[in-house]
Amino acid sequence: MTSFRRILVWGLILCSLTAAAACRKKEVGPPSSSGRTLDIAVIPKGTTHEFWKAIHSGAARAGRELGVKILWKGPQREDDRAQQITVVEDFISRGVDGIVLAPLDDRALCAPVRDAVREGIPVVIIDSGLQGSDFISFVATDNTKGGVLAARRLVEILGGSGDIFLIRYQEGSASTTEREQGFLDTMMKDYPAIRILVKDQHAGTTTESAYQLAENLLGRFPDVDGIFCPNESSTFGTLRALQESGLAGKVKFVGFDSSPKLVQGLRDGHIHGLVLQNPTRMGYLGVVLAVKHLRGETVEARIDTGVTIATGETMDTPEIKALLEPEFFQDRD
Amino acid sequence: MTRSPADDLVLRMEDISKSYGATCALAGVRFELRRGEVHALLGENGAGKSTLVKVLSGAVRPDAGRMSIGGVPYLPAGPIDGKRCGVSMIYQELTLCPHLTVEENIMLGKEPRRRGVVRPAEMRRRVREVLDFMRHPEIAAEVPVRKLSVGAKQIVEIARALVDEARILVMDEPTSSLTLDDSEELFRIIHRLKERGVAIIYISHFLEEVRRVADVFTVLRDGRNAGSGRMADAPLEAIIRMMVGQEFKELFPRIPHDIGEVLLSLDGLKGRAMQAEIGLALRKGEILGIAGLIGSGRTETLRAVFGLDPIERGTVTIGRVRFEAGQPWERIEQGLGLLSEDRQGEGLALSQSIADNVTLSRLGPFSRSGVLSLGRRREVVAGLMERVKVKGRHPGEPVAVLSGGNQQKVALARLLHQEADILLLDEPTRGIDVMSKAQIYEWIGRLAAQGKAVLFVSSYLPELLGVCDTIAVFHRGRVVDSRPASAWDGAGILQAAAVGRTGADREEAKP
Amino acid sequence: MSGHDKARIKILLNWLAPFLGLILVIALFSLMPEVRERFLRPANFKSVATQSVIVALGALGMTFIIISGGIDLSAASNIALSSVVVAYAVNVGAPPPAALAAGILCGGLVGFVNGGLITTLRLVPFIVTLGMMGIARGVAKWMAGNQKIDAPLTWINGLMAKSPRPSWLLLAPGVWLMIVFAVLMAFVLRRTVFGRHVFAIGSNEATARLCGIRTRRAKVLIYSLSGLFCGLAGVMEYSRLTVGDPTVAVGLELDIIAAVVIGGGSLAGGEGSILGTLIGVFIMSFLRNGCTMMGWPNYIQEIIIGAIIVAAVGLDQVRHRRAA
Repeated sequence: MTSFRRILVWGLILCSLTAAAACRKKEVGPPSSSGRTLDIAVIPKGTTHEFWKAIHSGAARAGRELGVKILWKGPQREDDRAQQITVVEDFISRGVDGIVLAPLDDRALCAPVRDAVREGIPVVIIDSGLQGSDFISFVATDNTKGGVLAARRLVEILGGSGDIFLIRYQEGSASTTEREQGFLDTMMKDYPAIRILVKDQHAGTTTESAYQLAENLLGRFPDVDGIFCPNESSTFGTLRALQESGLAGKVKFVGFDSSPKLVQGLRDGHIHGLVLQNPTRMGYLGVVLAVKHLRGETVEARIDTGVTIATGETMDTPEIKALLEPEFFQDRD
Repeated sequence: MTRSPADDLVLRMEDISKSYGATCALAGVRFELRRGEVHALLGENGAGKSTLVKVLSGAVRPDAGRMSIGGVPYLPAGPIDGKRCGVSMIYQELTLCPHLTVEENIMLGKEPRRRGVVRPAEMRRRVREVLDFMRHPEIAAEVPVRKLSVGAKQIVEIARALVDEARILVMDEPTSSLTLDDSEELFRIIHRLKERGVAIIYISHFLEEVRRVADVFTVLRDGRNAGSGRMADAPLEAIIRMMVGQEFKELFPRIPHDIGEVLLSLDGLKGRAMQAEIGLALRKGEILGIAGLIGSGRTETLRAVFGLDPIERGTVTIGRVRFEAGQPWERIEQGLGLLSEDRQGEGLALSQSIADNVTLSRLGPFSRSGVLSLGRRREVVAGLMERVKVKGRHPGEPVAVLSGGNQQKVALARLLHQEADILLLDEPTRGIDVMSKAQIYEWIGRLAAQGKAVLFVSSYLPELLGVCDTIAVFHRGRVVDSRPASAWDGAGILQAAAVGRTGADREEAKP
Repeated sequence: MSGHDKARIKILLNWLAPFLGLILVIALFSLMPEVRERFLRPANFKSVATQSVIVALGALGMTFIIISGGIDLSAASNIALSSVVVAYAVNVGAPPPAALAAGILCGGLVGFVNGGLITTLRLVPFIVTLGMMGIARGVAKWMAGNQKIDAPLTWINGLMAKSPRPSWLLLAPGVWLMIVFAVLMAFVLRRTVFGRHVFAIGSNEATARLCGIRTRRAKVLIYSLSGLFCGLAGVMEYSRLTVGDPTVAVGLELDIIAAVVIGGGSLAGGEGSILGTLIGVFIMSFLRNGCTMMGWPNYIQEIIIGAIIVAAVGLDQVRHRRAA
């Protein structure tokens, strides 16, 4: 009986090997790279937040304009470093022509990026930094500047003094840590009259976890005067907590990034300032730089896509409106 | 077929055939059932009784044959369809929901309702009616079934069939887990059901019991009709002859054996599940039978000896060593082996192979520093299977595919392989066919002749009387009396088991 | 057809079903024109193998637990904790072998505690390991100070390198470890007394006791062994991430359990095999890999993997019904 089984196993293995070999023989070899559209993989940190949808839309526009194919794929959760590594590796295996990556971790993604470079695949880093210098360009918001802007705006509406929270985003996320740092440094250096009640609490990656944290903090310090959140999910979670506890509008609130709900909050006076990046431009430039590099042009090593602040008064000006409500990528092709 | 009026004929099955692959389970079987009749369906395990009953219930579709109920052709699409046509089954393993109450169980699936809302009063009324009819008003309708004794559960099961307006009731080994008292009660209920015109198909291995309760019988052998007739006209020997198909001389083969020194003695032993202290002594080469009602503490005693239940008081002496506690693995090392009464729940790992089940308690002979030699094990197991007559099976097959009798032989083979010196056998012949029983009696005799000591718990008095050297009778957790088998007769044992017993000890039914 | 043949065919079918699944998945992507020629490249198989190491190591231990009729929900948390322990140890200047041992032993300790609680308190494995899932995750976050731990690079980080340092290794050392341990564990499961005891306990614990198996001791051993494998998986996770991340592998226990189940393991106990489990792991890895290469969105692979789990368990049920 065992011998029967053994024969069968080997038979199966042989079959699959010959099938594999046959498949490969039929292929005449990869078509030369000049005569075919380029495949550019764009790997965000996550796929659900509005921010990434805007990046997708920018990348897709660049794809249309330059005639390259965009492969869009991110990890399922925004803190899954291991899965993002897997996605990068799989795209390397597929042999894409270029990779645009928003690394979840400034260190963990170094090895796969190095693998890509070794395979001759250029990598453009967007949104968050990566250690080392294996990538051809870094396209991102100047996050520290964003934090500074937020701090100035919060002090302005508080009238120079008050008690505030800094609700942090997630451990190990470089871009938000820079925003938080910029915010904190500005507060401590320039505005000694501001008291920071909370500065070491992390909201986590989901709206739900941010909501819970904000709810708990508001329960403990109901007399807080101002709050800053460094990204969209934490801003929205905190906004919901403020609205639920009836403090919305009373507590001065500055957030980061945009989404329809946050725009509505700005309009209702529940949010007093939103620091805006330009994700569409980031996605667009990421792809453009990768293609330029592939076409033999030199590209800049660092591009700042800029930050602006939107307030209730400025939100309807055309340039702010464009940032507040970027075109989102809708259909998957 | 002219002696009864045609309208008395409730069920007619003709030329029923059914094959599973190459095995022919039924070949042209004929079966007729009349109103108000108790019809015993007899045969060894594998003779086709359960297949025939499954065909009747609708669970199995026959390959060929015709059925009619009350003259109307009957071709059930499934068990539910069968039930609708008045065929109800009462299985060996009860099929009640333990957490639901008596009335919920009885009315399950047919709750009286108005616009989807259950009508509790109507439900209660119908349940009371049927329990009263069975003369069991003491069973409370609102009690969860798990709190009832096994006997009461069976009554609930029958009540459920009655509410279904069953015309044909199939009882498969209904008394196998009942106490004597509960069995008597069951027979009374069967009598009342007969008066009501219900026809009953009665399957049992207890031939004496069948003789008492059945009017007519049909014997199946190898999937064919082997004989039928009126119970009163046929002597027991004739029926057994029909079942086994050969002259059945020695059901209890006597193998001469000598009795030596005491190997196992219990002194004031009380395990956690036991009701009182027990003292017993088992000698080398002795077959000591233990009789008693279910719940009299027989199984519990064996479990305490074997270390399956913790010992509270007293000692177990094995050879010359006294123990106040012990685990099963220690007892096995000391030469004990236990055959569990619960073959499927405890005795065997059903999904595992025959080889695994036989060798689990002693893997030593095939292993060197923990690594097994599977080839050698297969040889040894094949040899054992030959010895215990598990036929046509491969050691690698899972035990689940074997018949009850063969499963029991596998469990016994484990004790043989273990080379246990002291065998504790708990109901070793329950629910298995006559041939297998006879083989088991023979081994017990041979083991005793080899100088092993056997403790033989059974509820079947003829086998105790036929096989044992000594018989001890348990009652309410105590040893009533222990005498040589020749000094007992069936009536004496029954009386000893029942002395001082009131109707109140239903609660003592085993957990 | 004789009983022998029937039994043989049944054993064969049980054993083949997962293989067919794997071949089907590979065939599916081999037929896709976009990725076909890339998908079947040795380099891609190499990266799939590397991606499978962590789940596979966890699943080796889980196979023992599931065969014994238990479950370990804390596996993924245990992996995270072990990876943090390694990073922590490297960070405080422990020599790499010591850090590696610390990670593995930490995993083993968590498993030992699981087994101890299950046997002494007589609690259901589901509850004990559900609790341990939170405890281990919490301890990991606490040890890491709610951050990731950046530890200096050592040779441990080379364990999961797709291009191994001595290049004659061909595959990452982690992949070799996975293969060696899989062969070893398959041997232990099939050919040793301990392995037979694991099956017996899962098939019917009462029988196991009746046959003199010291079930408690065996269970503690099974959970500890599984913990050790989680610890090793944690080391590999650290090696891959180069940081000790307490939030890594959330939900990975379900992937691990799914791999065992797809490979023919029965949650009722008494059934399963190392080969099947590995096939389960590779089915999921190849699916992820193929879906990514195709650029398909995540939800497609989630739906496919979900469907495969249900199909595998359905098959399990059918097999059981046929056996009954």
